[in-house]
Order: sequence, then C-alpha cells, then structure tokens
Amino acid sequence: MLLGRAAVLLLALVVWELVAAPLNPLLYIRPSSLPATVLRMWRRPELPPLPQHVWLTVQEIAAAYALAIAAGLWLGFLLGLRRTVGRIYEPLLAALYAIPSVVWYPSLMLFFGLGPASKIAFGFLLGFFPIVLAVLAGIRQVPAQLITVAVSMGAHPATVFRKVMLPAMASTLVGGLRTGLALSVVGVLVGEILGSRSGVGYVINYAYGLMMTHEYAVLVLIVAVAVLAIDGAGALLEARVRRWAG
Amino acid sequence: MLALQVLSLAALVVGWEGAVRLGLADPLFVPAPTAVAAALAAGAGEVVPRLADTLLKALLGYGLAVVLGVSGGLVLGSRRLVHDVAMPYVVALYSIPKVLILPWIVVIFGLGLGTAVLTGMLFAVFPIVLMVAAGTRDVDPALITAAVSMGATRGQVARKVLLPAVLPSVLAGMRVGMVFAMLGVLLAEMFAGNRGMGFHMQRLALAFKAPELFAATVIVSALSIAVVLFLEHLNQRLGRWR
Repeated sequence: MLLGRAAVLLLALVVWELVAAPLNPLLYIRPSSLPATVLRMWRRPELPPLPQHVWLTVQEIAAAYALAIAAGLWLGFLLGLRRTVGRIYEPLLAALYAIPSVVWYPSLMLFFGLGPASKIAFGFLLGFFPIVLAVLAGIRQVPAQLITVAVSMGAHPATVFRKVMLPAMASTLVGGLRTGLALSVVGVLVGEILGSRSGVGYVINYAYGLMMTHEYAVLVLIVAVAVLAIDGAGALLEARVRRWAG
Repeated sequence: MLALQVLSLAALVVGWEGAVRLGLADPLFVPAPTAVAAALAAGAGEVVPRLADTLLKALLGYGLAVVLGVSGGLVLGSRRLVHDVAMPYVVALYSIPKVLILPWIVVIFGLGLGTAVLTGMLFAVFPIVLMVAAGTRDVDPALITAAVSMGATRGQVARKVLLPAVLPSVLAGMRVGMVFAMLGVLLAEMFAGNRGMGFHMQRLALAFKAPELFAATVIVSALSIAVVLFLEHLNQRLGRWR
C-alpha cells in the first residue's frame, strides 16, 4: 500500500517533469529545478525576510483561532443548552453557512484596513462556524436518559458535564475544532493574498508579482506542507480523543 | 418559530439603524440599513449583469466539478485499490488552501472567464469527490448480491440498486459544491478580475463605498441562500422518487 502511494507520487512528479520540459520554464516549473531554487533562496535571499513574515502569519492564525474557539464554544453551548433559543437561531446560523464566506472579506477589509486585523477577523469568521455547529451537533448526541440518571443519582451539574456530556460529544467537538483550525488558516491566507503588506501571503504575492516563479513554487510547497502537518497533528489528536471517549 | 426569527432579524436591523443614528457606529464603516437599502435600490440596474456574470462562471465551474467529482468519487468509492492508494492524496489536495495557486492560474488563464471557472471548479470538486466516494463505499454489498442472485443484469443493478443508494451523497455533495464553486469564482474575481460581483465588491471596499458594498454583500448572500434552498428542494423531490 505505502509502496503504491509512493509510486503514485513519483509518477506524478515524473509526468509533471516531462510535460513541463517543452513548455515555458517560467510558468511551468519543473520539479527538478526546485532544489537549486531552495539553495539560491537560502544563500542569496531576494525576497522579504521570510521568518519575520511567517511569524506574523502564525500570530494572526493563533489570534483568529483562539477567538473562534472562545466565541464558538460560547455560542454553541448557549444555543445548544437552551432548546427554545436554539430552535430559533440554529436555522439562521445554517443559512449563514450557505453563503460563500469570501463575500464578507471586502467589508472586513473596509472596516479593519489592510493590516493584520482584517486577516484575524476573516480567519475568526471562517473558523467560528464549524465550531459552533459541532457543539450543537455534539449536544444533540448526548443521550438524555444518561443525564436524567446522573442527575437523579445526585450528580452535581459540573460532574454531569464532565462525566456524561463531554465524553458523549467529544469526538464531534474535536472534529469541529479541527475543521475550525483548518478554516482559520485558510481565512488568514486568503486575506493575506487578497491584499496585505506583510505575512506569508504577501511574500507569495510579492514573488509572483516580480515573476520569481521558482521562488513562488517553493513558497507554495512550504506553506502546503506546513498546512498538511498541522492537519495531520489535528488528526492524531482527534484519534486520541476518540479513543478516550470510547 | 418563524415569527420569532423574523422578529429577531427585524430587531437586529432596527437596533443597527438606531446605533448609527445615535452616533454609536461610524456610518463611514457601518452604514445604516436605510443607506444600504437606498444603495440597493440605486444600483439595482447595474447589479443584474454583474450578478449574471458571476453566476454563469460559477455554474460552468460547478458543472465541471460535478462531472469530474461524481465520476471520480464513484471510481474511488467502488475500487478498493484505487481508494487505498489515491485517497490520502485526494484528502491532502482537499485540505491544501487552493488560494495559494491562484496567482499561477491567473498568469496562465488571464483575468477573464478561464481563471474564474477553473478556480470555481477547483474549490468545488474535492468536497464532491469525498462525499460521493464515502457514499459509494457505504452501499451495502448484500443489496448487490441479492439483486444479482435474483438474476438482475449489470445495468439493472446500476439503475435500481446503486443509483438510489448513492444518490443522497451525490446530492449532498452537489449542494456543498455549489457554495464552494461560488466561493472560488468570487475569490478569483476579487484577486484578479475585471468583471463580476467579486471584482465589483473589492473595488467598492478600496473606494470606501460602504453602503454600496453592504448592498452587494446582501445581494450575493441572498442569491447563494436561494440557490442552496433550490438545490435542497430538488433534493427532497428526488428523495420522494427513491
């Protein structure tokens, strides 16, 4: 299986190399030219200093995700634990989810400007929805009779929450938190690429604006690998939580 | 229920209007609902061609994504070997932010139709593939065995057993795919367009025309909710057919 997967990747690289060979080398980057590009970028950096911009993007993502978790958990439990409020507002929330999220970005840009604030706001907005919806779905999964039994045996509300509700909703909740992180990352990157003066997205735009396409390809690969690594870490965490919740 | 929903939306609009009138919110950034309504009415004539432009691109990208996504999902879901080898890559491509390759697409396909359609397709195809593949894998093999043992032909199995069993996930994928196709098209237009709602909205934001921008946001939002509701309606009718 692993062998098959590696073969597919290798085949894709070879096909790309062969297809790109007769084409414009500036537009169709050959994989074989990338190691030299990495070396060149390391030795003689022509791009804006990468560590500083990466650090800014990481900070933006962290802020957006933290806000999304706080607001998402709060609103999710508020709507989920109060049935009547939930029945009124859940459909409205679902309707908002049906709107392609980029429509909010120009308004956020107008409101927060081109700096990090608009990126944080957009990353927050994207990360927030899956978290709220996961909390709502999770609460619905908690078997009502378990709560009744625990309460009738005299369990404290905090104990009911920790011992009954949390295990029952854990895997859904963690799934939502993982999607939320992925979307916060996407939101910040989209914001940076649509218009910014700093951050990884800015450097990517900068490289492409000057037609430094080899450097651009390397940057895209680095960001893609970083995103996949974050997602992989999230998947491991999710599996652990699922085991804990049984 | 509906009355309470309408009531709270109305309260939100009235409160918003009040906040702007009382000077609690700066109308330069947060225009009053009345100002947005005025902009909506004033721009109604120009908005239709722009909206049609964006919707056409989204439908083209969506159509491509449905064809590619459904067939890809069926193959991935029904062939075990293909699934085991290719699935990690499909999931990886799904989770990598597509916006990263937008600059590259723009340089190759230019500012017009091609870039927007391709981006819309790219955003929509992966969720469709994943949902259809998952649905196809979940088809109960016992149903197929039973149909074959009762003498059903391949065509009959496909039409009478597989299609109804896979249909819900295909429809679910198609519903999600439409939102993603709109998203991709709007994003491409915002990044490097010269027409369409996305381009228009980005220009309004940079020109600080908040009422017009809010009006455009309302229109695009209403359109996407309408499209999703239409697909949902279609979904229910097909559900009755099953």
